[in-house]
Amino acid sequence: MSQRLALSATTKSRIIGVFFIVFLLLAWEAAVEFKLLKVYKFPPPSMLWEALTELFTSGFPKHQTVDIHIAWTLWRILQGYLLGCFLAIPLGVVIGSVPILDKLTAPIITFGRSIAALSLLPLVIFWFGTGEAPKIAIIAYGAFWAMIAHTIAAVKFVDPLLIRAARTLEASHRTIFLHVIIPAALPRIFTGARVALGVAFMVIVGAEMIGTIQGLGALINEARNFYRADITLIGMVLIGLLGLGISGILQVLERVLLPWNQGLEGVRR
Amino acid sequence: MNKSFAHNRWADTLLGFVGFFILFSVWELVSYTGLISPDIFPAPSIAINFTLSTMPMMEISGHVWASLTRVFWGFAIGASLGVVVGVASGWYNWLGVLTRPLIELTRPIPPLAWIPMAIIWFGLGEPSKIFVISLGAFFPVVTSAYKGMTSVDPVLLRAAQTMGLKGWRILIHVALPASLPDLATGIRVGWGLSFGMLVAAELVAASEGMGFMIMHARELGQVEIIIFGIVLIGVVNLITDYAIGVVIRRHIGKWHAY
Repeated sequence: MSQRLALSATTKSRIIGVFFIVFLLLAWEAAVEFKLLKVYKFPPPSMLWEALTELFTSGFPKHQTVDIHIAWTLWRILQGYLLGCFLAIPLGVVIGSVPILDKLTAPIITFGRSIAALSLLPLVIFWFGTGEAPKIAIIAYGAFWAMIAHTIAAVKFVDPLLIRAARTLEASHRTIFLHVIIPAALPRIFTGARVALGVAFMVIVGAEMIGTIQGLGALINEARNFYRADITLIGMVLIGLLGLGISGILQVLERVLLPWNQGLEGVRR
Repeated sequence: MNKSFAHNRWADTLLGFVGFFILFSVWELVSYTGLISPDIFPAPSIAINFTLSTMPMMEISGHVWASLTRVFWGFAIGASLGVVVGVASGWYNWLGVLTRPLIELTRPIPPLAWIPMAIIWFGLGEPSKIFVISLGAFFPVVTSAYKGMTSVDPVLLRAAQTMGLKGWRILIHVALPASLPDLATGIRVGWGLSFGMLVAAELVAASEGMGFMIMHARELGQVEIIIFGIVLIGVVNLITDYAIGVVIRRHIGKWHAY
C-alpha cells in the first residue's frame, strides 16, 4: 500500500515537472509576444520549429543540412577517439603492470591531464593548419589522458587475491596476464572509455568553432555570426541529445561485452 | 605513521621527479639533435628563453592575473548559485520537483556549446566569458549539493529534532555539514570544468588572458610562446586545484576521514 503511494508520488512529481517546463516555455513565448524579451536574442519555441525544418531541408549555412553536421562531428570524434584509445590502452597496460614505470610516469600523467585539451588548439593549428588533422589531434589528446589514467588504475588495482589464486593453480605468467588481469581490468578500462568519450565530446564542440563550417560546433558558431539564435539553440539541443545517445550506446555495449562486470560492481569501490 | 611507509612516499616522489627529468631530457635532446626541427617543436629551454626575452615578465603575469580573476568570478557565481539552488531543492521538496527536470534537461549540453549563445546574449565582452565559466561550475556543484542534501542520514535529522532543533537550525547545523563531503567533490570537479571553459572562452574571443596569449602567439607564428603558454596553463590549473584540495581536506576532512 505504502509502496504504491510512494510510486504515485514520484510520477506525480514528474508530471508537475513536465507541467512546469511547459509553463516556462509558454511564459517565454508570451514574453517575446509582449516584447519583454528580444526575438533575436530569445527566439520563442514556436520559431524554433521553423528553424528546425530549415535545418533539415535547405541547411545552414546553405546546403549544409543537419545530417551533414552530425556526420562530420561523429566522424571526427570517432577518428580522434580511436586514435587516443589505441595509443593509451597498450601503454596503460604496460605502465600499470610494471610498478617502477608507474612511479616514474605518475606525475607526468597528472600533469598531462591538467593541460586542457583545448589549450593545444593554437599549437596544433600551427603544426597542421586549419584542416581536419588539428581537430582529430586534440580529440585524441583529450581521450588519451583520460584513457591512460583509467587503464593504469585498472591494471594496478586488480584484486591480488585473484592473482594469488591463479598462481596457486600454477598458471603461467602469460595465462595470468591474459585470463586474470585483463578480464579483471576491463570493467575499469571501460569506465575510462566512457569518460574519454565525454572528454572527446566536450573538445569537439570547441575545436569545430575554429576553421570549419561543417559539424555541430561549427553550426552553432556560424549561426551566432549571422545572429541566428534560433539555429544556435537547436544546435545546442542536438549536441546534448547526441551526447546522451552516445553514452547510452556505450552503457548497453558495456553490458553486452562485459557480462562478468555485474558481479564485480559491488566488489570494486 | 609507519616509518617505511613515509620512506616509500619519498622514494615515489623522487622517482616522479626522475620521470619528469627523463621526459624533459628526451624532449631537449630531440630538439637539440634536430630530430624534430626546433621551429616546429622547440625544446623547453628554447621556449622559456624566447618567451622571457620577447615578453616582459609584467605582461605574462598580467595574462595570468586576467585569467585568474575571470575564472574566479565565473566560478564564484556558478558555484554559489549551484549551492543555493542545490541545497534549496534538496531541502524543500516542492522546489526540487520544479528544478530537477530543468537541470537534468540542460545538463547534457556541454558548457562549451553555450559560448555562441552567451555571445548573442551578452556580446563579446567579459560577461559572456564569465557566464560560460560559471556554467562549468554550476552543473557539478548543483548536482552534488542536491545529492548531498537528499542523502543526509535521516537519523541525524531526527536526532536533531529530538533535541529541540527546528527548521533553519537543522539545515545550518546538521544537514549542511553532513552534505559537505558531496559538495566538496562537486566543487573540485566544477573548478576543473571552469578552468577548461576559461581556456575555450579566451580562445574564441579575448584581448588578454593566457588563452589569448597563446592564440595571439599563433597568429605571430611564435611557437615558443605557444608551448610556454600551454605548460603555464597546465601549471596554474594544477596549483589551483591542489590549493582547493588542501582547503577541502583541512576544513571538511575534520568530520570525515577520506
